[in-house]
Amino acid sequence: VTAWIVILSIGVVSYALRATVLVTVAGRTLPESLLVPLSLVGPAALAALLATFLFAHGGTASTPPAAEVIAVLAGMFAVRRTGNMLYVFAVGLPVLWLSALAGV
Amino acid sequence: MTTIAVTAAPSRRALLWEGCRDISPLVIGVLPIGFAIGAAIGTSTVPALAGWAGGPVIVGGAAQLVTIRMLDTGAAPAAILTAALLVNARVMMYSAAIAPWFRDASRRQRLLVAFPLIDPTFFVSAARFQRHDLDQRGRLAYYAGAAITLMAAWMGVQAIAIGAGSALPEAVGLHLAAPLAFAGLLAKATAGRPQVSAATVAAAVAVAGIALPFQCGVLVGVLVGIAAGIAVSP
Repeated sequence: VTAWIVILSIGVVSYALRATVLVTVAGRTLPESLLVPLSLVGPAALAALLATFLFAHGGTASTPPAAEVIAVLAGMFAVRRTGNMLYVFAVGLPVLWLSALAGV
Repeated sequence: MTTIAVTAAPSRRALLWEGCRDISPLVIGVLPIGFAIGAAIGTSTVPALAGWAGGPVIVGGAAQLVTIRMLDTGAAPAAILTAALLVNARVMMYSAAIAPWFRDASRRQRLLVAFPLIDPTFFVSAARFQRHDLDQRGRLAYYAGAAITLMAAWMGVQAIAIGAGSALPEAVGLHLAAPLAFAGLLAKATAGRPQVSAATVAAAVAVAGIALPFQCGVLVGVLVGIAAGIAVSP
């Protein structure tokens, strides 16, 4: 039940924000003072979440397996070079497998 | 006698199909994320139907992934809501940017446009509308074609991955699919110095704050990261 409530709540609030802006701001431009922080929300949130997923185990910080860190970095590098999201998996997962095979 | 060539305006059906066709490459690009989310749902304690419903309800891969992962780790609902909304905050910019193209649409139509507004629908529609050759009905038809294609593919791939997720051995590394999806999105989102600064500081603060209650480390990291990004903005 909790999962349904949380998912529906996020959906409703998220939609309300999108719809409110689209319906009421039509034809206007948001001030620069708001656009700059908004443009930074995505990178900051993604980085914070990625770091937490890699380093948090059981509510405490711990060093993740080297193979996982190498795979993530390799995947990011590939996406930066190609601009194609597919490469994060096409490179990241094989690097993970090879690193695990090599005992990293 | 002078002959004037008249080009007929494309029909709404043709524009619907054009939107479907134009978004296809972007759909292929986001399918791995959809698969990663489906796999995360399939291997988590979150009810599969609730997790899958998150696709059309939340309409945002990263936010849906955050929701699934945080639900799975038992985070507080308020923390999950905050984190998911922060991740989806960029969509408000898309709303503001695409709004002028639907200035002549009715309120009901604009409310419908807001529903599937996410990265692929925004990018492909904004690029098409810039050609200034579509009227309001044409823009709505094009947008509908793109949105329907995206949502159908998004829900389909997640359903497949939910079924496959628990059947695949751990050695495949699907447990890393979600972090990899985040890493890929992050690699694309950090184009300038402010974005890189915001991401670096946010990650460092979030790790330092892992022990904070209700997973507040993420929220604190995001806020400090944004401040760092603003500090180095031109």
